[in-house]
Parts: sequence; C-alpha cells; structure tokens
Amino acid sequence: MPNSNIDMGDIHWLMDILQNIDTGLVVLDKDYNIQLWNGFMDSHSGISPQLAKGRNLFKLFPDIPEQWFRQKAEPVFQLRTRTFTIWEQRPHLFHFKNYRPITGRATSMYQNTAIIPLESIDRSINHICVIIYDVTDAALAQQELHHQQQEIAKLTCVDHHTGLMALSAWQHQSARELAQCHRAPTPSTIAIMDLTGVNQLDDASLACVFGIVSRALRHTDMATLLDPNHLAVMLPASADSDVRFFIERIRKSISRKIPTLSQQHLATGIAQANPDFSHLNDWLQAAQHAMQQARQQQAEWISVHSSAAE
Amino acid sequence: MTTQIPLVTLSDDQRDCYQELTNVAMGQAADRLARLLDHYVVLPIPRVNLIEISDLRMAIEGARDGDAISAVCQGFIGNGIAGEALLLFNDTSYTDLARLAQYPAKLTHQDQLEMLMDISSLLIGACIQGIGEQLEIHFNQGHPVILGQHCDLKDILNVSHQKWRRTLAIEIHYTMEAVNVNCDLLLLFTEDSVQRLNKKIDYLLD
Repeated sequence: MPNSNIDMGDIHWLMDILQNIDTGLVVLDKDYNIQLWNGFMDSHSGISPQLAKGRNLFKLFPDIPEQWFRQKAEPVFQLRTRTFTIWEQRPHLFHFKNYRPITGRATSMYQNTAIIPLESIDRSINHICVIIYDVTDAALAQQELHHQQQEIAKLTCVDHHTGLMALSAWQHQSARELAQCHRAPTPSTIAIMDLTGVNQLDDASLACVFGIVSRALRHTDMATLLDPNHLAVMLPASADSDVRFFIERIRKSISRKIPTLSQQHLATGIAQANPDFSHLNDWLQAAQHAMQQARQQQAEWISVHSSAAE
Repeated sequence: MTTQIPLVTLSDDQRDCYQELTNVAMGQAADRLARLLDHYVVLPIPRVNLIEISDLRMAIEGARDGDAISAVCQGFIGNGIAGEALLLFNDTSYTDLARLAQYPAKLTHQDQLEMLMDISSLLIGACIQGIGEQLEIHFNQGHPVILGQHCDLKDILNVSHQKWRRTLAIEIHYTMEAVNVNCDLLLLFTEDSVQRLNKKIDYLLD
C-alpha cells in the first residue's frame, strides 16, 4: 500500500474482519459501557451490536461478578498494563454455549480473556478492549489429563494388601500437613491404634478392622499401617476432641463385628499437631507416647497428648 | 538449523546495556506493583547471564530455596524476538501478600490463583513492555500458563528436547520491605532471538 492513510474502502474490509473473526471483541469505556461488540459476541450472546452499544456491561450481564472484573480491568486503565484471565480462575467471563452443542462434552464455553488498554489520540487511556478466546477443547483436555493423573496417583499410593494408604505416601502427606500447621495453625490430629490384639486373631479379623477404618474415614482423612501392630490415622482440620469421638466410634464398630476382641486390645494415642513439632517424627512420637499411656492407664484405653506436658 | 547458529556470546558492554534496559523496565514494574499494593517494593539489581540449560535448572532450584513454589510462565514475541517470562513465587509469600492486596485472610486455593495471576500480569507485562519500548519492539504476549503449585519443575524443563544450548537469561528478584514477600522473575530469550537482540543493543551502544 503506497499510501498509509486508511481510506473508507479499507475501513470497510477492516470492519468485515472484526465482524467475522472467531474471537470475541468488546470495547468498554471508563464507566464499563459497551462501545464495540463484534460478530462473535453477537452470535454467541444473541444480543445485537445495536442493542449492546452504550449499555453498561454489568447491567446487561448481571452474572459477571462486578468487583472481580473491575479488579482485573482497573489496572489496565490506570497502569496501562495488559491483564489476562484464564479459565482455571473462572471458566468463563460470558456464559456462552459450547461451540459444539451436539458432540461437545461441555455445556458451556471455556474462555481465556485478555484486557488491553486502547490509547486515545491524546495518549490517555479512556477505553479498554476485552478479547475473548474460546479454549473449551484445551480446557477439557487439561481437566481430563488432571483427572487421569490423580487416578494414577491414587493407585500408586494405595497399599493393596491392606486397602489403606501406603506408608510412604501417608508420611509425605502428614509431613505436608505439619508444614501447613506451622504456617497457619489448623488443628490436625494423628491417632495411633495398637493392633497387637487383632494380630493374635486371624487374617480375616484384621481385614475386617481395615475395612471398618476405611469406611469411617472422611474424604480428607488418611490411614496407614505404621508397622504390623500399629495403625495410624491422620485427620486434617480436626481437633483432638473430635478425633477422640471418631476413635470411640471405630472401636465400637470393631467390637460389635469381632466380639472376641475386647476394647482393651485397641489402646489408642491421640496427638494434635502443634508448632513445637519440628518434624513428622516428633508428632508420631507424641501420639505413640500417648498410646503407651493409654495402655498403662487402662481406664479408657484412649490417651490424648497434651502439649503443656512437654 | 540449530547447528548453523553460532553459540551466543555477550560482551561486557552488551551485558551492561541489558542490565540498564532491565533496570528501567523493572523500575516501572516495581512502581506499578507498589501502587497496586500501596507498599514499598525494594528495587533489586537484575542479573544478566548467558546460561546453559543445566544452569537454568540450578537457577530455579536456587529460587525455590527448599520451599514450595508456584510458577507462572508467559510467552512473548515481537519483531522476530521471542522468549518466555517465568515468575516463581514462593508459597510462603501468600499470607503477607493477601493482606497487602486486601484479599480475605483465609485464602482458598482459588484466591491464591487470582493473586498469582494479578501479580504476574502486572510484573511480566510491565517488564516486557518496558524493555520493548526502549528497543522499539511491540511484544505480543501469549496467555499466562500456571505451571503449578508445589510443582516439580523438572517436567517442564525437559532436557531431552535439546532445542537450545545456551541462552540469555535476565533474573530479577523482587522483595518487599518489612513483609515476607519474595518472587523471582526470569526473562529467557530463545537462542536465535539473542542474535537479533544483540544487534539492536549494538545499535544503541553506537
């Protein structure tokens, strides 16, 4: 093009491109009123550019969280920086149908957005452009992959002999929980149960105990076999008093299923994580110590580690 | 194609020039961050180095410092110059940053993600645009990608794809006064981009 000035003919085909490009383009002014609304937005929202023009974004789309969107858009006006949102943050900005309504697996479109500053002739930023990309296929593939990875991780951390968590995985998770407790004190608790009595019975009884424990666990709780005679349970976000209740319940179920096993064979020590435990071993030792006490005291067969005694 | 490109080199003058460019750009970035959080951001001295792929892993391991990190990367390209910005964010920084950015005290996973995206948009965007402006390059930015939280970076830096041998890395370590917030911004350019960049730099130096 010898002449770099854009004439009317060029504007005509530029507008054609804006209308037909398969990406959403929305121009907003400082009050979040819509100034431009391209064909993509028109087709997917069912709102024509004539209707959209001049309307306030948040009034036209009440499901867009205003505070959240302002938080992303204000820096663009004020700092002239581009900001981005990705579908992991929020699956979509505009609730549109999936482009493949028949064979697609998702009902709505996943979107990434970029918000860019638009400079006026006087170099001030009075408008921003929101660009909306359809990333449904990528998002679904990513989610599927993540799901598969989790399944594989789950398979590798189960001890197939007991059906409980493998010891190494349990130690890893518990150590992470302790690290979390150092940062923000959440009352996570470990309970250790003495299985010596059960081991004197047959393998079926042992399997029965593992089954009862597995079923009693909440989604986030984790149980493992520390050694053949000791079962350990880690309960995130549970205070020792709650865990005491949990253990009582398990012991009742066990003695109902295996009447030959009196409660005294299931001495249990409970220790709540506290910042004095620098290592997972400290935490385990506290629980083990409490278990020894329970065995000696024999009154209730449950003992709770108290941090004041340390 | 890689064998035809001679190994990247960097003279002392060029290194100084890169450092100066980055200083200006990250000053802008720090200013924006400071305005967003209303808190003083310590201005670091950027480190400009030619690194081998094995060094990159070490640089990242160093940044981790034993703690778990969250990482965001964002590709950029303009005028035939391409690279990636990598923001490594120490997980221990979340609590203090949440307070400054006025997020709820008890952060959900979602809040952490939002915060990570806000900070990375700001720092990466400002740095790249700042460098681009000085060199008169308009950089296009791809969408940021979350590399993961508590992630293992060896999967990302796949050494088996020997796509490059040695390249230019600009390392910026941001910290904030009196609060525990620290993050590392790494700008990495592709091998062939460095040749072009060096030409631009030489032009500035003349």
